[in-house]
Amino acid sequence: MTDVLLDLDGVGAGYDETLALRDVSFRAAAGDRIAVLGPNGGGKTTLFRVVLGELTARTGTLRVEGDVAIVPQTERSRLDFPVSAQDVVLMGTIAGRPWWRGPRRADRDAAREALAAVGLADRADATFGELSGGQRQRVLVARALVRRARVLLLDEPYRGLDTTSAGRLDELIAELAGEGRTLLIATHDVGQARAWDQVLCLNGRQVAFGPPATTLTAETLAGTYGGELLRVGHDGELAVVAEHHCG
Amino acid sequence: MLEPFSLPFVQRGLWEVLLLSGGAGVLGVWIVLRGLAFYAHGVAAATFPGLVLAAGLGFAGPLGALAVALVFALTVGRLAARDDAGDHSTLTAMVLVGALAAGVLLASDVFPRATNVNSLLFGSLLVISERDLVIAGCVSVAVVVASLLLGPRWLAVGFDRTGSRTLGVRAGGPDALLLLLVALVAVSTLSAVGSLLAAAVMVIPAATVRPWITRLRTWQLATVALTALQGVGGLWLSAETNAPPGATIAVLAGAVFAASVLARAVHDRQRTRGSRPRTAALTPAVRGGAR
Repeated sequence: MTDVLLDLDGVGAGYDETLALRDVSFRAAAGDRIAVLGPNGGGKTTLFRVVLGELTARTGTLRVEGDVAIVPQTERSRLDFPVSAQDVVLMGTIAGRPWWRGPRRADRDAAREALAAVGLADRADATFGELSGGQRQRVLVARALVRRARVLLLDEPYRGLDTTSAGRLDELIAELAGEGRTLLIATHDVGQARAWDQVLCLNGRQVAFGPPATTLTAETLAGTYGGELLRVGHDGELAVVAEHHCG
Repeated sequence: MLEPFSLPFVQRGLWEVLLLSGGAGVLGVWIVLRGLAFYAHGVAAATFPGLVLAAGLGFAGPLGALAVALVFALTVGRLAARDDAGDHSTLTAMVLVGALAAGVLLASDVFPRATNVNSLLFGSLLVISERDLVIAGCVSVAVVVASLLLGPRWLAVGFDRTGSRTLGVRAGGPDALLLLLVALVAVSTLSAVGSLLAAAVMVIPAATVRPWITRLRTWQLATVALTALQGVGGLWLSAETNAPPGATIAVLAGAVFAASVLARAVHDRQRTRGSRPRTAALTPAVRGGAR
């Protein structure tokens, strides 16, 4: 029987009096790679915050197996900070120890293992700000891995990456899924979403959820982004025209 | 040349700058890293009315300064905590103006004879008491211990405020303690550089070292060394030139900072120039190879 790590049933959440997101129901199994599509303000961040436990679901039920960790956009990090890749990964161990205790040998070993898992064992001492965009993204993935999280939330991880770095990230995502983790990946790249296992479309509510082949239809995308935001590419595929932020 | 250091009151000044440099240097790095330079200046300047009150009413200056500094830290820190970006600048400016104005009114109209405004604003490193030395030493130890214990949290929150929250790193307590320590260090520097020149030891040395360092620990050690060096150098220079020591240290720190920025700019320019000829030299060979 497939191990379900994430189970949402009619989840709604928001800020102040209004619900920013409603009627979200889906199940994610271990090893699932789920693309989360939606416009700015569509509820992707709200969903991530609910899954992380930062925001309480006002309606419905949420069940999460194991720890959850988020991989934020690298642009939100301070590139001028005097920290090495290993220092950044060690930040993932802070919450697991008392405030008066610094990182121990076991924490450092775990950080090194996490860096090795993302293919950056030889860059552990490199200054974070001097790494390439793709390497920085992988360091942040390692920071999430060091927490032994089974559910990973990736916030637009492909933003600003060149083709080579994006390819490496693809491989890493496949490896992490192969190890039995569930990955929710906020993205605007409809083409990329087709390569993953499931697609969740949000626009203030759940528009659709399912395998890419049956979910990424013109109707669903129009319902997600609005018809005016779509164009037909050379090969007839649909793409999002406007640049969005996770919202 | 070292004759001034044989005088007891200069020796006390020397101990004061050496003791201060530990706490001011280590905390200075956090101040620069976390964007608290204006806050540090603000909290030091805001102690002015506390010092005037203490002089006028006859109680210990550091007590009055500490009371105002704590009120400043709690007010600004608490209100700024509501700001997601943790921006202190607007609040700092408002509270700073209010505190300075209150200090001036107290000094000019309420206790005009009891206060030596110059000494309160710019310090008096040549009349250091044992109490000043004890305060400087204790505050430095507290800063170093706090930095060792809470440094990883201060670093994580400054590196990525939103991300650190999702990692389970709570910013509230550690950040409040950081603001409190800035207030404590500001109070401990008053006897040496006064309430208006505290940044000369709390901010400028760390900012001077910053362009040359890529690791936190090295940055802290280098800042402590530079703070001590500038303190000792400024003290010696003031004794030789009969200039006020606090202002001399500040001028020296400012000059070294300017030299550091200039040297870094020249260094970067030379490195850029150095890389261009290599590219230019490669180009013909590549072209030749292509033929």
